[in-house]
This record gives sequence, structure tokens and C-alpha cells, in this order.
Amino acid sequence: MKLYEYIIRRLILLIFVLFAVSILVFYFTRGFPRGIAPWAAYIHPKMTAEQIQQVIKEHGFDRPIYEQYFYWLRDVLRGDWGLTGAWAQGKPANEVFFNHFPYTVELSVFATIITVAIGLPMGIISALKNNKLPDHVCRVIALAGYSTPAYWFGFMLQLVFFYYFSVWGLPNLPSSGASTLGKPNITGLPILDGLLTGNFVYAWDEFLHLILPSFSLAFISLGFLARIVRASMLEVLRQDYIVMARSKGLKERVVIYRHALKNALIPAVTLTGIFFANLLGGAMITEYVFSWPGVGQQALRAIFQGDSNFILLYSLVFAVIIVLANLVVDVLYAFLDPRIKY
Amino acid sequence: MKTRRGEWEARLADIKYSLYLLRKNPLVMAGTLIAAFFILLALLANIIVDPKLAYPEGYPGGMYPFERKYVWNANHFIQWGPGVSLYYGPEFFPLGTDSYGRDLLKMIILAIPVDLYYATIITIVSAIIGTLIGAVASYAGGIADEIVLRITDVFFAFPALVLALVFASILGRSLETLTLALILVWWPPYTRLMRGQVLSEKEKPYVEALKALGASNIRILFRHIIPNAIFPILVQATMDFGGVILTFSALMFLGFSPSPAIPELGNLAADGYGHIFDAPWVILFPGLTMLIISLAFNLVGDGLRDVLDPRLRR
Repeated sequence: MKLYEYIIRRLILLIFVLFAVSILVFYFTRGFPRGIAPWAAYIHPKMTAEQIQQVIKEHGFDRPIYEQYFYWLRDVLRGDWGLTGAWAQGKPANEVFFNHFPYTVELSVFATIITVAIGLPMGIISALKNNKLPDHVCRVIALAGYSTPAYWFGFMLQLVFFYYFSVWGLPNLPSSGASTLGKPNITGLPILDGLLTGNFVYAWDEFLHLILPSFSLAFISLGFLARIVRASMLEVLRQDYIVMARSKGLKERVVIYRHALKNALIPAVTLTGIFFANLLGGAMITEYVFSWPGVGQQALRAIFQGDSNFILLYSLVFAVIIVLANLVVDVLYAFLDPRIKY
Repeated sequence: MKTRRGEWEARLADIKYSLYLLRKNPLVMAGTLIAAFFILLALLANIIVDPKLAYPEGYPGGMYPFERKYVWNANHFIQWGPGVSLYYGPEFFPLGTDSYGRDLLKMIILAIPVDLYYATIITIVSAIIGTLIGAVASYAGGIADEIVLRITDVFFAFPALVLALVFASILGRSLETLTLALILVWWPPYTRLMRGQVLSEKEKPYVEALKALGASNIRILFRHIIPNAIFPILVQATMDFGGVILTFSALMFLGFSPSPAIPELGNLAADGYGHIFDAPWVILFPGLTMLIISLAFNLVGDGLRDVLDPRLRR
């Protein structure tokens, strides 16, 4: 199979996945009578009974659940994702989503950078000092990373770096929320906008706000990366061409960085892509703990309120992101490792 | 009969060698000891601590009779800083009290069996469901395999936590429905894992030999292929156990708890939400317990994986 055929096949699959996800989520959020009624956001006290009836008829809220799905689908294809409930002041779901999405992107980018910056060296050290003390230390840190309750770790960071640092009179980091010294108005990403508009105070403040939540996220995922790098590095170091490189008298440093690392990094690259996608969707708890104004926290509120429109949009966007990330990673894999054919 | 004995002897020797390798690794030993300690503690919890402290008689439906207050012993060696309400009474609380004035250490001891029990159910049930679906589908191949593959695709396409939250919010708030919600999202990775295993096993010559001998498909699958392919599933389940405890308690923490007074580690931690700076111990100690339990199981699982994976075996 050619590469582009493979890509087309996967994109067709994406459409199938989107339909399945939307049907699943639609049924589970609308099919059970709890939470906000989906028409509640369309109605305000000044409307007459006829106007209310007209709204219900137009969006098909009086129809059976499987017909409602097609009404929803029709609205979505027209670009109308429905309104949210009172928790987001009844704004359109897509407006709420895309106002908060840049914050999540910013957080995920930072968390990914920290993950790679710490996890990669940890994995390499682990493999080179296999079963010696540095390996054991890295193993415990890595395992502690994914054994840590995300919410608990966030609070502990706040407690130490905000509360105790301020009690002890040390320079402390902000505990929660995003910076309020400016407004993101060009790209929506606060740091980038601060730099673009010359509002460096705002960008710096936002950076300080980002440190704790992104470290909290990264600590959980860097363990996975370190373990994968270690495993693939160990496997590569056992290959014949490494023995060959050593036996022809190359320095150990050259063997490791020029010959071994390049091949050992292939799984790490793919894993980082998947991480980034998962962080975009899975940062819910961290956003909740740090009151970070990202989409995860909004989705959590929507789920608690039973707001189907927002949950549908959220899960569909993340289904697209995760499937595309997997696709990109697979294609990247084929470029990095010429032995792989699709 | 002779071949059967030979087979078991070989398996036993393999297990013995694996145990020897595990014993050599100090981290795995530490993990095993800690995990064993917590399992023992869970079994003895109701003897060590009077369960009536957490489940008082005559207060059904999670109604709890005490007023909400957090205290910390005045004569304790940990100083939490300003803003902490100190307790000068005769009783000593090693880890302070929770918001109901109950001894936090006793509550944590009562919470450990709850967490371990539900996490065990979730892990075992989802591993069995995932393994069976994966094994049968990939052994049958063709359309069944394709359907199962596409279903797992859908489950992988959005974060498990979101799905579990949606399920839990439909099913209502109770520990049992939370368990069900987690099982519903936890089986697909096992299915994928088992599918890969069976795909490689069923091409091996011994399966062909069994077919030539006239063994039925069910016998080949359940008696030969699954036992040969089960080890990665066991390792995955051990590694997952910690993750299940974390996710279960995270859902409780986020507010799917039927009552704030139930002793469960996430629930106890949630008690301290909003009081992080004036009663930090309420969130610190339950979370730390969770970290230690989960780390112990992860150490065991990680060691098992190294030992059972012949490429990493040394």
C-alpha cells in the first residue's frame, strides 16, 4: 500500500470514528432525562408560549432521540453547535470552546516541552547506567510520576511554591488561574499575544502562571517517556551495528549520540505526539485544580451540568485531534524509519 | 500424560527463574513488600479501626452527625504555619482530623480496603472482558475482528476520563455505578493487547499441529493460545492497578462521591479542597497514601515486565 493510500484510508476511518463518537455521546447526554434540557438555553423569560414552541419545533426537541440526532447534525453542518447552559451565560458552544482552547494549547505545549526536556535525558541515563544506581533513581522518579494523583500533586505544588514560599518570604509563584494583566487579542495565546503587542509584563506574568500547572502535567507524563526511551535505547545498544561501531574504535560518545540515539528516538518522537494530543484532552483535572481557564475545566462544568451541546463539541474536537495525531505520528514513523512500509 | 508433565515442569522452571530474577531487583522487592503491607492492612482494617467511626449506626444515606471542623494537635512536631486551628484537648490525632473532627489516620486505614476492593474489581473484570473479546475476535478473524477493532478505535479516540465522567453522570452517584463506568472505559486496551498476542500466536506451528490432530477451535484457543499469550495481560493489569486506583479516586475527588463522609482516599482528599492553605494535612496524607500504594504496584508491574520480556531479560 502506498503512503497516500494509507492516509486516505485513515481519513475515511476518521469520519467513521466521528460519527460513532457523536452518536455515543449524543445518546448518553440527551437520551437520559437529567441535567439541563438542551432547549433551556434558547428560552428567555420574555418569550411567548408560541415562540417557545417554535424554538422546540425548529431544533426538533419534541422528536424521538434518533430523530433529534439528525436535527443536531443538520444544525452542526450549518455551523450551529447550539447554545450552552447558564454555566457559560448561554453563549454558543463553539464560542465558549474557542475562547478557552488557546489556554489549553498553551498549557499542553509547555507541558510537552518540560516532559521532553526532563524525560529524554532520564531515559538515556537509565539505559546507559542499566541496573546501576542512576537507573534505579530514574526508575523510581518515572514510576512515581505516573503513580501520582494528578489533583493531589497540583495542590502540593501550590502549597509549597505559593503558600509556604510566601510564608517564608521567598519569591513565590502564582497559585492559580491565568494572568489578568492583559487580554489575549491576536492569536488567543496569552504569551504570544503579550510578546506581539509588546506587553512583556503580561507575557512574563503568564509564563509564571504557567510554570506550576505545566510542571504538574509534565511530571505525570515524563515517566512514560523515560521508560520508553530506556527500553528502545537498551534494544538499540544490543544491535550488531553498535558492536560494529565500537569495534572499529569509535569513541563511546560518538557511538551513543550519533549511532544509537538516532534510532532509539523513533519511538520517543511518536510517543511525544500522542502525549501532546492526550494532554490537549486530558488536562481536565490539572485545569480544575489550578483554575486554569482552559477547555478541560469548561468540559468538566458542562458534564456536571449535563450540558450536551458543549460535551458533544468537546469530544468531537478531541476525537479529531487524537486521530490526526496518531496519523501524523504514523507518517512520521515511516519517514524516520525507512524500513517501515504501509 | 508424560508430555503434560513435561510442559508443566518447563513452565514451573520458567516461573522459578523469573522469581529469581525478581528477587535480584531491590526495587521490585520493595514494591512487593509495600503492596503486601497495604493488602494486609486492608484485610485487617475493620479490626484495627472501629468501622462505626466512619459508618455510624442510625445515620443512613451518608448523613453524618458531626459538625465540620479541621483541627491539628497543638503539641505536634509538624508546624503548618499560620491559619491552622490547633487542638489543645487530651486526645492525640497523629495525622490531625478531617472536616468532621474524625481522626484522619483511622479514616485512611478504613479507606484503603474500599479503594483496593473497587480497584481490584475494575481491573479484573475489565481485563477478563478485554481479553475474551480480543482473543475470540482475533482468532475468528475477518469481519468480527474488524468490528472489534473499530469499536476500540472509537474508545481510543477520546480521553478515558471524559467518557468515564459522562457514564458516571448518567448512571448516578454511587460506588457501584462508578465501578461500572470505569469498567466500561477500561477494557479496550486489553482487547488490543490480546488481539496482537493472538494474531502472532495463531500463526505458530503448534496451532497448525493441533489443528492437524483435530483439536476443536475452542480447545485450541482456551487451552493453548490464551495461556501462552496471557503474560503481557497480567503485567498490564498489575501496571494498571495503580492507575485504576488513581482514576477511581479522581472521580470521587471531582464530585461523583455519593456522600462526602465515605472513607475513600479521593473522597478524604476532596474534603480538604478549598482548605488547602489552612488544613493542608487533610489533602496531603490521603494523596500520599494513594501515591505509595500505586507506586508499589507499579514497581511490581515494571519489574514483571522486565523479567517476562525476553528482550529485556538479563
